[in-house]
Order: sequence, then C-alpha cells, then structure tokens
Amino acid sequence: MNHHQKIQHLYLRAGFGATPQEVQSMAALSLDEIIGKLFEGSSVPADLNFMKYPLSKKQERKGASAFKILKMILQSRREMEDLNIVWLNRMAAAKAPLREKMTFFWHNHFATSVPFGFLMQVQNNTLRNHALGKFSELLHAVAKDPAMIIYLNNQQNKKDAPNENFAREVMELFTLGEGNYSEKDIKEAARAFTGWTVNRKGQFQFNVSEHDEGEKEFLGIKGKFSGEDILNFILGQKQTALFITSKIYGEFVNGKIHQDRVNNLADKFFKSGYDISLLIKNIFSAEWFYDDENAGNKISSPVELIVRCKRMIDLQFDDDVALLNLQKALGQVLFFPPNVAGWKGGSAWIDSSSLLLRLNLAQSLLHDGKIKYRPKPEFEDKPVDESDDDGYRLISDWALLTSYFINVPDDSLFDSVAACLIQCSRDKIKRAEIEKISNADSKENRIIKLAANLMSLPEFQLI
Amino acid sequence: MVPQFLKSASGRMGIRKSNGKILVVIQLAGGNDGLNCVVPFRNDLYYKNRAAIHIPDNELIQISDDAALNHNLSGIAELFDAGNLCIINSVGYPNPNRSHFRSMDIWQSASDENQYVQTGWIGRMLDANCHSHQCHPHQAVEIDDTLSLALKGEQLKGMAFRNPQMLKKTASTPLINSTGKNYEADAADKSYLEFLYKTLAETTQSADYIYAKSKIYHSKIQYPQNDFGKKIKLIAELIISGAETSVYYVSLPGFDTHVFQKGTHARLLKSYSDSLKAMCDDLKSNNRFHDVMILTFSEFGRRVKENSGKGTDHGTANNVFIAGGALKKAGLYNPLPDLTNLEEGDLKFRIDFRSVYSAVLSGWMNEDSEKILLSNFDSLDFV
Repeated sequence: MNHHQKIQHLYLRAGFGATPQEVQSMAALSLDEIIGKLFEGSSVPADLNFMKYPLSKKQERKGASAFKILKMILQSRREMEDLNIVWLNRMAAAKAPLREKMTFFWHNHFATSVPFGFLMQVQNNTLRNHALGKFSELLHAVAKDPAMIIYLNNQQNKKDAPNENFAREVMELFTLGEGNYSEKDIKEAARAFTGWTVNRKGQFQFNVSEHDEGEKEFLGIKGKFSGEDILNFILGQKQTALFITSKIYGEFVNGKIHQDRVNNLADKFFKSGYDISLLIKNIFSAEWFYDDENAGNKISSPVELIVRCKRMIDLQFDDDVALLNLQKALGQVLFFPPNVAGWKGGSAWIDSSSLLLRLNLAQSLLHDGKIKYRPKPEFEDKPVDESDDDGYRLISDWALLTSYFINVPDDSLFDSVAACLIQCSRDKIKRAEIEKISNADSKENRIIKLAANLMSLPEFQLI
Repeated sequence: MVPQFLKSASGRMGIRKSNGKILVVIQLAGGNDGLNCVVPFRNDLYYKNRAAIHIPDNELIQISDDAALNHNLSGIAELFDAGNLCIINSVGYPNPNRSHFRSMDIWQSASDENQYVQTGWIGRMLDANCHSHQCHPHQAVEIDDTLSLALKGEQLKGMAFRNPQMLKKTASTPLINSTGKNYEADAADKSYLEFLYKTLAETTQSADYIYAKSKIYHSKIQYPQNDFGKKIKLIAELIISGAETSVYYVSLPGFDTHVFQKGTHARLLKSYSDSLKAMCDDLKSNNRFHDVMILTFSEFGRRVKENSGKGTDHGTANNVFIAGGALKKAGLYNPLPDLTNLEEGDLKFRIDFRSVYSAVLSGWMNEDSEKILLSNFDSLDFV
C-alpha cells in the first residue's frame, strides 16, 4: 500500500471514508500525525439535539394515560426515523468521523430499539459521550440507560419475580461472551439488578422497595451485591477486555482474528482501565494495520456504504423516505437493530436482492437516476395495495471527483480513479470492458462514467 | 402445455434431484386474529369477550360441531370440505413474545424465545442441500423486493423478486453482463471478494432461469386483482412451469388490527382465501396439487378479549393452516383453544410451531428436521 492508500484505509475504518481532496491534503503528513488529527477532531462530543423532552410538567407529575402513550409511541416512530436521517447526515458531514464511527460501533454492540424516539436520542448521546472514553464508564452508563432498561425488560425485574433478560445479555453479548459464566451467575446477577427501573420522566430510577438486598453468589464470590458491584466484578475479569478487544479487532482490522495481537492489545486495554482511545490508537498505529491482508477485506455495512456515497458524490434522494427505505432494503436501519445481538454483518449483508441493489445504486445515476426498491411494510402499517410506482430518484454531484481527476492524463485515468475508489485487489476487474463502456465525449463525462462503473462493482462493496 | 425438457425436476443446472415436493409458506404479517377465522361459535365466552367484533351466525360456515369458519374464508371452507385442508389450533412457543418484530424473528429463525439465531429455517434447509457448485438461490424464492430472514442460510440464501422481468433486467445490466455473468468460481478462495463474485454469478444464473420459466405457463384462472393475488398467481405459474424451486415464501401484511378490526380483517381474509383457492384450483387442473403443501402462519394471534377500539391487541397462540393435495390428516387436527384457561388473557399454546415445521421438513420435504431445527421436536402427523 502506498501512503495515499494507507490514508484511505485509515479513514474507511476510523471513519466513513475520505474524499480524494482530503487524502491529498494529508499526503505530506506522517501516519502518526494523521492519527493525531483524527483523535483531535473527535475530542469533544457533540450531542444529537434533534428532539426536545416530550413530557409536559403536568404529564410528568401525573403520568400519561395509556392512549397518550400509544400516541406518543406512534409519533415517536416517525421521530426515530427523522433522528435516523439527522445522524446519517452527521456521519456524512464528517466533522468528527472517529467519534461517529465509534458511536456507530457501540450502537451495534449495545443494540437497542425501543419505540420512544427521545429515549433513543438519550442513549445515542450516552454512547457518543463515552465512545472514546473508558469502557468501564460506558458499561455502567448503558446499564442505567432508560432505553436499555426498557428494551431488556429490567422494569419487570423485581425482588419477588426476577427477570433475567438484562443480566443474561450483559454477560453474553456486552462483556464476557458465552461460556464464561454459569446459569447460576445469571440468576444471581439478575437479583442484584432488581429495582433498576425507569420513572415516569423517562429517567433511571433505583426502586429500593423492589431490590433484593439478600446475599448473592456471583462468579464464586458471596456478598450482598448491588448491580454496580456485579458490573465491577465483570470488569474485573480480563475476559471482558479480551471479548471487547476481539470484537473491535474483528470490526476495525480483520474478521479473521489474530490471537497474539488481540491478546497483546487486550492486555494493554485491561491495564489502562479500559481506555478505548488507547486501544484503537494502538490498532491504527500498528504496522500490521496497513498490511494488504487487512485492507479491503470487509463488506461495508449498508450505512457505511450509503455514507461513503454521500461523501464521494453527495448522493441525495428526492425525499428522506427514500433514504430510509434504502437502509431497510439493504438491511440496516439506524436505531432499528434486528435484536439485542445487533447486525450480524459480513456475508449476512449480501443476498441476491441486496447485492443487485448495491450494484445498481451508482449505475442508475448513469441513466435516469431512478431506482426501485420497496422494503417490507412495517407491521403496524395499514394494508395498502401497492401500485407499480416508478421507484425513487437519486441525485448526485460528481464535481468533487471530476475536479480532482480532470488533469490526470487519459492513459492513467483508470488507474487513478480505481485507486481512489477500490480498496481491495483489482485483479478481477475487467479493465478493458469497463473502459469501453465508460467512453464519453468529454473528459468530465468519462470520469463520471468510470467512477460510476467502478462504484457498481463488487470490489466497491469492500472497505 | 409445458415443454418436456423444461419439466424435469433436475434439469440443465445440475441441481440435486429433490423429491419433487414443493412447499409454499404464506405469512400473515401483523398478527392474524385466529379466533375470528376459526370461530368457536358454540362458546359463550367467545361472545362475552367479543361483544362488538364477534362474527355473527349469518357470516359463519360451520365445519364441525363446535367450529365455524369466517365466511370470508369461503375458499378455505371448500378446501376443508374436499379434504385438502388441515387446521392446527393453539400453535405457539414457550414464553411468547408480543413484539411483532421479535416474534416474527422467532418464527422465521425457528429459535427459542431467548435465543438469537441469525439464519432462517428455510435457509438452513438450503444449507443442508448445498454442496459445492450445486447451490442456486432460486431453490427458495420469496415474492417480494427484499429477502426475509427465513430464507437466509449460512452457505446459501434464497432469492427475492416480485417480477421475473424486472429481476432479469436488474441482473443483466451491461456492466454485470461483462463482469459477473460468466464468472468461474474458485472454491479455494475464501475471500469476501470471491464470495461477492460467486453470489453475483449465481444471481444472474438464477435470474435467467426464473425468467425463462416465467414465460412457459400463463394461468387462465381468475385470481384476485390485487398485490397478493398477483404474487400467488406468480407462484402457481412457476410451479406449473416446472421450476426447480422447492420453497416459495410470500407475505400478506396488514393484520395488526388494533382498531375497527372487522372491515380490514374481512378484506384481508377474503384476499388470502380467494387467492389460495385460485392457486389450488390452478394446481389441480394442471395435475400438480399432490406435489404442493401450503403452510399459513402468523407471528402471533390476538388477545381473546376485544379492546375499547373495536379491535384486538397482540396475543400469543394461534391457528396454522396446512393446505395440499396429499394430506394424510385433513380437517381439525386438534380441539379448539380452551377459552376458560388463559394466561394473562391470552390463549395457551398446545403445539410448538417447530413441531409443525418438523412435520413439513421430515414428512414432506424429506429433510433431516432435527439438524435444520437445531433441536428435536415431535413431528405432527398431518403429512
């Protein structure tokens, strides 16, 4: 990999991709300097402030009626969709790419979806505030996050009738991983989390009267443990550092885990008291991070693909519903993970329909910009007889690419554009065929056609 | 008439010869109110709980001493009388989840309530039959724009399309034709790039195959002129054309009837029943009905007691319909649900839905159901 490609690789993993202009502007800097800039640019978290607190003072005092709550839920669904667009646009604006990427990672790790838009915004802000901080603090914050408590039924976790849902997932999916605790540990932990609930204001509340004060035995230790104690015991297990490091390595470096490296990284992560910034800085500064085998080996998630297209060609839609439906059709909608295990990723993104849609996205821009995709209707939707609509209209702006490549000589144009858009091996690309169908009357149009055709290849799906 | 060379079950694409049996799965999405489909018309509790939304006598078709079908299911009633329908009552699973999304996930992945399985039961059936180059997405087809979890396996996923012509068009752009179409897969290469090229090549081949099959037979039978009717018609046409697809999957949405249930529910049931009846007639007149089994389910039933909005809220156990020309046991498979013995106002399940799947997989499709369902479930004996 040359220096340009290394920068591209770093930005595809640590963010949502860099434009060729951005890469060029950093070309004179060393990788360490660039990594420093990435962290600096993401040092101050900025909350999503799209939604205001939804309850009036009176509702807060009295609580809302069931009907009002239903109305709020329905309205919230729309608000969550609006919030989705707000976040997606923020990712594309790339003011703090590293923080957005890490928030996105934690959104999949602590996967939650409850039909209360405001609470999803609160959770997102919790994730973004801790995204580059200490995992220990993040875990404690998420365990008391109202949306999480509702999602994993901890409101129903009471002294006389413990609900194990949160206790199970906090160990299985969030910290230790399956096989590193017993069923008994789950039962005992659930008792420690009794009384952790959400009040009418939509805030965390510890309900002492529902809390089981008795002695518990967790991971072989006995005591009158609180929920906080349980989380601290979990954090005291090195396995937690290993589990999180392994997941981050799989997501940011290579799905094929290199155990020695992960052990080494996890060691430092554990010793630092779970410093997330240190962990990912260690990854991005490692020489092996820039090995060929660690680049272009990941199928971009639908959100990563869409945001990258927005960054490169300012991909827009005639209305936001189209952008939302595109996420649905490709299988990843922000704020709506399929279940608490999150999106599976990897080859699970790809089936015949999603692949054809991915390959025809940029391709459609060479024709009328129209593309048809109808996601499945929501369960709550009224039945409608779907007519044969003409699909959505995509809008793009190629100026960024055309202005960058306009002075590149014809005979090296293909290589230059491909180097900017394709991060994996180019061995399978049929260059002659693509050059042939990318012929055009002007240099500008040739650049557009080349870029659109390259963006319609399987190779472009890999980051 | 179907040309003989296109009729063979294991034709030009070298697919493992299946037993020629076909499964059609119809998903009633949103939570179908099973109690207003198969009505316990002699049970006072039914009328007591449903003062506003019960089905009155003159809208019922009696099928046994204590059960009657909603008259919008008249097509289903005809299948019942002909011995081509089996009604299984009180189907569900332990610790029922009342979220649409989660419960549908459980039905599609055939998992336990507290398990997150990221493949579908039909997908795992594809996996079980996918050996090296003999994997074709069109072995399981969903008539829709996007593919459901049910049809996603680890090695192989089914394919989704609404319209074979559109499918062919999107799968044969000049770029795809020149890059992916004749791609020779390299089994030794385990990279994602190879996986993408291989998936693309399979997709284009399956798109060509489905398009060719869709040209063969055009039904003369009248199907309902709506979206669902068109989808069911397409399935019947592909079956009669001899397509090598062994599973078809289709969804009819809109069953989440929280308010003013009756009108909406009636329209949906009629659309479902008339479409299914037309398909069965079509298959019969082409001598294929004995090869086809049609399974209808919903992610949950509705609460026994109606709500204040003349509708019903999310419930639990529900009835499942099995239609086909070769049922071993037709009629009412088991007694109607017990309305006196409820759990938090909901029906208790008596039959695990995976026992229904198990019967379909082992009894009909000749598969190893324990392997596909990840656990052993007693098969029902309707097949």
